[in-house]
Amino acid sequence: MVQNNFSRFKGADKYVLDDELAEIVNVSMALEMPLLLKGEPGTGKTMLAYAIADSLNMPLIVLNVKSSMKLVDALYQYDTLTRLNDSRFGDSSRDVSDIEEYIKMGKIGQAFVADTRTVLLIDEIDKADTDFQDDMLDVLDQMEFDIIEIDKTISARHRPVIIITSNAKKDLSDPFLGRCNFHHIAFPGEDTMRMIIDVHFPDLGRETTDACIKTFYGLRKLEGIEKKPATRELINWIRALKADPDFKLSLLDRGDVPYLGVLYKKSPDMKVATGAISRHRG
Amino acid sequence: MFVSFFYNLRDHGIPVTPTSFLKLQRALCTGLIRSLNGFYIVARAILVKSERYFDAYDRVFAHHFEGVELPDLEDFELSEMAKLLLEEWLKNPEAVAAALDVDEKDLNKLTPEELEKYFLDRLKDQTEAHQGGNRWIGTGGTSPVGHSGHHPGGMRVGGVSRNRSAIKVALDRRYRDYSQEGPLTQSQIGEALKKLRRMVPSGPMDVVNVQKTIYETMRNAGEIEIIFDRRLADRLKVILMIDNGGWSMDPYIPLVQTLFDYTRNQFKDLKTYFFHNTIYDRVWSDAARYNKPELVTDFIKKDPETRIIVVGDASMAPYELMAEGGSIYFGEKKRKPSIENLQFLAQTFRHCVWLNPHSRRAWENTWTTDIIKKVFPMFELTLDGLDGAVSHLMSRN
Repeated sequence: MVQNNFSRFKGADKYVLDDELAEIVNVSMALEMPLLLKGEPGTGKTMLAYAIADSLNMPLIVLNVKSSMKLVDALYQYDTLTRLNDSRFGDSSRDVSDIEEYIKMGKIGQAFVADTRTVLLIDEIDKADTDFQDDMLDVLDQMEFDIIEIDKTISARHRPVIIITSNAKKDLSDPFLGRCNFHHIAFPGEDTMRMIIDVHFPDLGRETTDACIKTFYGLRKLEGIEKKPATRELINWIRALKADPDFKLSLLDRGDVPYLGVLYKKSPDMKVATGAISRHRG
Repeated sequence: MFVSFFYNLRDHGIPVTPTSFLKLQRALCTGLIRSLNGFYIVARAILVKSERYFDAYDRVFAHHFEGVELPDLEDFELSEMAKLLLEEWLKNPEAVAAALDVDEKDLNKLTPEELEKYFLDRLKDQTEAHQGGNRWIGTGGTSPVGHSGHHPGGMRVGGVSRNRSAIKVALDRRYRDYSQEGPLTQSQIGEALKKLRRMVPSGPMDVVNVQKTIYETMRNAGEIEIIFDRRLADRLKVILMIDNGGWSMDPYIPLVQTLFDYTRNQFKDLKTYFFHNTIYDRVWSDAARYNKPELVTDFIKKDPETRIIVVGDASMAPYELMAEGGSIYFGEKKRKPSIENLQFLAQTFRHCVWLNPHSRRAWENTWTTDIIKKVFPMFELTLDGLDGAVSHLMSRN
């Protein structure tokens, strides 16, 4: 029987959550399945894990996947150097003959041995080899792994809430997908975006919000842009506008866009956007 | 519960598994799902694993729970097929006419709309698989639409409903025709190319060599001496040259695409060039073969240890390969015949292979293939062929 007495996730202060996603998060927690989130950058995949941890009052452990990463790096590390050092000088409180004292837990290991239930965020899993995913399957399935050096099995004391994000650079393998719940976060529409802005800038006037959103979605429609501006860029951009004492709303109405560099991070994109804006004004 | 919904999803090409279906049942038991909307969301998260199928899921869901009419898969596909046939017809009327066993001249009188209708009717008549193979979609095949081209249903190999129409069977067969060994998937290519690696120490010295450290420490009478090594990294340079011109390569586009996708993910140092039919003075690094030309003679500056993989069908008119100024493109002035450029490449780089998507049996029929085979070691673009190519690329001499 599935336990059903956990606190339910309803969203956090700085995170605007749609009902759909809240439902999926709750079911994934109830079923004890990892939740795989896909979506274009800037749709708040990573932020979701922070928000869950925040609202459920659980510690968050983040595993940032790197391309060269092996699974064992995420599980534990055997600190041979310290042991060698201790055996030479013998002035530490550790017992050199006990290898276990020199085993350090990696991020997944930490989540397994933690005293309370934790949120484990495995960020951008698609960066690593497919081997990484395949190896991880067993660990996540059994909720345990072996430390070869001391021949000990570590099993999870509390099953962590696992959130996995992927930027869809590579397709994930089918067996891996089979063990996850899946959700694709679409880019927020204008209404959701308005709510997001309200959360971040409660004192921003309605007119300003509307003008900013209009300009922003107009810019997102430009063709030939490599990296479209996302939520993060919009928020930083509004912050920049707010900090500028000379900024007036009429600028945006005229089709002028100050601080383009906050929205576009690549010089070819910048060029396209500048061209489009000056054409629009002219 | 919802068993028919499950099979409906399957029938529409969404790869749902029994395990995930059981998970859904468990989710229902938790009492967390209290509305149809909730069920919609949860079932999608559990059953559907890619946003590619979200649209199909929506349609099935709307049909199953809200009674929205589902577009008839069969009819839809038939008309798609008819369109394909029409395209085929425009390119190669004889083959289509012969395969459908009709007179080319009769069909020529019809307008495109009438023609499409005619094909549609012909397809509907046909209730069993083609005898005598797959001519109209096989050998002369020029259809540009790949496996997952337009509709998630039907065209997939395996996992389709039991009462498949002849068309679907035919489609399956067409897909299989791309490779005699069955279709190559990305993971299969991955397995085959995995051996293609050259691990060399590179980067900062930041990895402790435990063995050497212990040895040196002992030599040092117990005074610790830590030995660092460089990390091993894959430093293999690969150049992939793809023939992307002409419809003789069109049927192999999905296959080459898969190969290309995989290699792009796999090799850090990969350069891709494109050419048409054979290599003249220039190759292009953009697929349109227009913007970024590069002189083949400049390749001499590259590392001779670079692995060259050429993908092409190697079949063309003999003069294109042998004659001076043999290019079929007007305005491409050149001094050397193409074959000399190929020889130049093969001599500059010790490790080079030519992958040919045509099956080995077809090679003998093409004169140019025979010639190129003598310059480049040639392998089939199948699993076996890839294996052979990889071991050739990794051999020491």
